[in-house]
Amino acid sequence: MARGSGERGYGVNEVPPAAHLLVSSFQHVLLMVTALVIPILFASQLSGLPEFTASLIAFSMLAAGLGSIVQSVGLPFIGSGYLCPNVCGPSYFSVSLSAAWVGGMPLVRGMVIVAGLVEMAIAPIIQRLRRVFPTFIVGLVVAMVGVSILAPAITSFFGLAFREDAIRSADMLVGLFSLMVMVLANLWGKRLAKMYCLLIGILAGWILAAILAPEYWHDLVAVGEMPIVALPAMGPMFGGIAFDLKMVVPFVVIAISGSLKSFGNLLAAQGISEPDLDETDFTPIRKGLLADGFSTALAGLLGGMAVDTSSSNVGLAGATKVLSRWISVGAGAIFVILAFFPRLIAILSMMPKPVMGASLIFAGSFMVCTGLKQMFSEPWNPRKTFVVGISLFFGLSTAFLPTLYARAPRFVQTLFTDPLPTTTIVAVVLNQILNLDIVLRRLRRR
Amino acid sequence: MDEQAQKTVRNHLEPSACSRRQQSLRAVVPALLMVLLGSISGCKGKYGDLDLTMYQYRDTRNLVRFVYDASLILSREGRSSLARFQNDRARFSTPQYYLYIYDVTGTNLFHAGMEELEGRNLWDVTDKDGKPVFRQVVDALDDANNPHAWVHYSWWEPGRFYPVPKSSCHFRVSTPEGEELIVGGGLNYPHEEQEFIRIVVDRAVELIERSGQEAPAKISDPVSQYNYRDVRVFAFRPDGEMLISSAINSTFSQTNLLQCTDEVGHKPFAVALERLESSDTVWEVFMAKSPYQRRLIRKSLYIRKTVLSGETIYVAAITDLPEPPY
Repeated sequence: MARGSGERGYGVNEVPPAAHLLVSSFQHVLLMVTALVIPILFASQLSGLPEFTASLIAFSMLAAGLGSIVQSVGLPFIGSGYLCPNVCGPSYFSVSLSAAWVGGMPLVRGMVIVAGLVEMAIAPIIQRLRRVFPTFIVGLVVAMVGVSILAPAITSFFGLAFREDAIRSADMLVGLFSLMVMVLANLWGKRLAKMYCLLIGILAGWILAAILAPEYWHDLVAVGEMPIVALPAMGPMFGGIAFDLKMVVPFVVIAISGSLKSFGNLLAAQGISEPDLDETDFTPIRKGLLADGFSTALAGLLGGMAVDTSSSNVGLAGATKVLSRWISVGAGAIFVILAFFPRLIAILSMMPKPVMGASLIFAGSFMVCTGLKQMFSEPWNPRKTFVVGISLFFGLSTAFLPTLYARAPRFVQTLFTDPLPTTTIVAVVLNQILNLDIVLRRLRRR
Repeated sequence: MDEQAQKTVRNHLEPSACSRRQQSLRAVVPALLMVLLGSISGCKGKYGDLDLTMYQYRDTRNLVRFVYDASLILSREGRSSLARFQNDRARFSTPQYYLYIYDVTGTNLFHAGMEELEGRNLWDVTDKDGKPVFRQVVDALDDANNPHAWVHYSWWEPGRFYPVPKSSCHFRVSTPEGEELIVGGGLNYPHEEQEFIRIVVDRAVELIERSGQEAPAKISDPVSQYNYRDVRVFAFRPDGEMLISSAINSTFSQTNLLQCTDEVGHKPFAVALERLESSDTVWEVFMAKSPYQRRLIRKSLYIRKTVLSGETIYVAAITDLPEPPY
C-alpha cells in the first residue's frame, strides 16, 4: 500500500501544494545537477568549444528531464510511477568517449540508442525473476546502490578534482558543515526544515564555501558572461547517427550493468514508497526499466549523453519522506526548462565540490541503511550468510582492487566491473547453487 | 518608586537577552558581510599578481605560492633573512616540498632539507643523467615562456640510495643590499602538468626559429631541458614523417605519425593537423597503455606549428593527463 498523507511528508501518489511541489522539485534538481559534470568532462575531452559543451549539456538535460517525467508521471505501459528521476549515467562515460574518438558524436548517438534498446529488451525478463530475487538479495542490491556512489561522494566531499591532489582544510570544513546542516535539519528540524534539509545544507555550505575559498565565488562571477537564454544547436559535430559493430559488445555490457543499477534504484524506490508490500511487485519495476531504456535511447536520438536512474535522488526521497512522484515530474520539467537557460545551468553546476559530496553522502547513507534493513528484515540462516558474504567479497573487490581483473579471462572482466553489478550477479548465482538441495528435495517429493 | 516602575526603568537601562542577541548579531553580520564583500570584490591579497590558472594540481600551485612567499621575505630582508630560514628548517621542508636559496654564481646559501649543501658551489653539478641542473635553472629564469622557471631533473634524498624525480620552480630576487639571489622550491612528488610540456615545446619552437638547422640536434639531446622523465619534444613534417623522433630512433624504423592510432583507434595526429589548419597550437587527447598497470590512461598531446628552413613543421610533446579522483 502506498504511503499515505497521514504520515509526515507526502505519499507517492499525493500531489503536494504548488509551493511545496516547486521547492521540493528544485531540491531534487540540485542533486541532479551534480551529474552534469559528466557531459562537461566529456565535452572537454572532445572539443573545448563552448557551443559544443553547451549543446551537449542541454541535450543531456532534455533527455534526463523527459525521462524523469516518463518514469514518474504514471503512463499505462511505461514508467514505474515512483520518485526516481534520471541523470547522466557515469557508467557510459568511457565507452561513449571511445565511440566519440572512433566515429564522433554520430557514433555516440547511434550506440547510445542501441544501449537504450537493449535496456528496454531486458525489462520484460525482470518480471520473471521473482524467484531469483528474494527479499534479502533485493536488500543487498539496494545497499550496493548506496555503496556505488561512495567514490564520487567522498572525493567530492574533500574537494578533489584529480587523483592524488592535495586536500584543502577549507574544503573539508565546507563539506563537514554542509553535511552536518543537512543531517541536523533532517533530525532536529520541524516539518519544513526536515523536508528541505538538503536544500538548506546546500545553501549553507555554498555560502561558507564562497567565504572560505574565494574561487568558488569567482567561478560564479565568471558565469555572468554566458547567455541567459539559448536554444541548443545541433551543430556540425552532432550531425547524423552512425553504428559500428565493434562497439556493440562494450555498449551491451554497460547497458546490462546500467539496467542492474536501475533495477536496484527502482527496488529501493518501491521499498520506501510502498513499505507495506509483502513481496516485491515486479510490474512497476519492469515498467521502470522500460522507461530507463527509453530515456537512454531518447538521449541518443537527441544528441545527449546516456542517462540512468539516480540513486542519490531516491535516497533523498527516503530521507525526507517526501515521496510524491509528482516531485520527480516537477524536477524533470525544471530540468527541461533549464536546458534553455545556459547561465542558470552554469550557476548550478558551479556548486562547490564539497557541498556536492555532502549531498551524495547524505543521500547515499540512507540508501545503504534502507538496503541493510530490508536484507535483515526476514529470518537469517547460514545459506544467506554465505550468499551475502561471498558476493560482497567479490563485489567489493572490484572497488578495492580495480586492476585485479585486467588479466582475467574476458568473460570475468565483463562481469567483474563494479561493486553493484558484480555483487548482484554473484549473489543471484550463489543463491541458486546453495539452494540446489532444497530444489532437489522438492522435485523428489513430487 | 513602585516595583512596576523599577522594572520599567531596569528594562530601559539593562539590555534584555533578546536585545543582547540582536547586538551580537549586529556585530557578526557586518563582519561576515565584510569577508564576503572582500572575496566578491576580488580582493587580490598577497598572491594577486601571481597567475596560477595554468596549473591543474593544487600541489603545484601550493609550491609556487610557497616559493613566492619566501621570495617576498628575501626581497624585503635580504641576506639577513637567511638566519630566519636556517632556524626554521621544518617550516621550509615539508613532506610535500622544500625550499632552497642560491646566489647567481651557483653557491648554495640555504637548503631546507640538505644542510650539507650550504656554502658549496653547485654551478657544474649534474644529475644522474648528466643534466646540468643549476645552469638549467638560470636558463629557465631567463625564459619569458616559463614564468615560474620550472626545471625537471633527478635528485636524491639524504640517506636514500635511489634517484627521485623533481620538478622545481624559481624566482629571481633583488635584495635591499642590491644583490641578486635565486630562491627555488622542489616538489617531492611532482605531478605531470600540461603547462610543463607547453613550456618545453614553446621553447623548442623559439630555438628552431632562432637557430634553424642546428636546433633539432640540441632538442633531441637527452640531457637538454626539452627532455625530462617520460617527456620528449619531437618534431614532424606535414606528411607525418619524423624529424625528431618521439619514441624510437627513426633510422631504425620509419613511423608515419598521421597513420598512428591510439589504443581505441583514434588518430590523434591526423585530427590535430586538421585543427592546425586554422590555429598555430592544438591540444589533443588520446588513450595509451599505462606503463605501470594493465589499463589505459589518457594522454595529452600539445603541437605547435613553426617553420624550419622555409618548410612548415610541427613541434610536439606528450604528457599524462590528470586522472579523475575515482
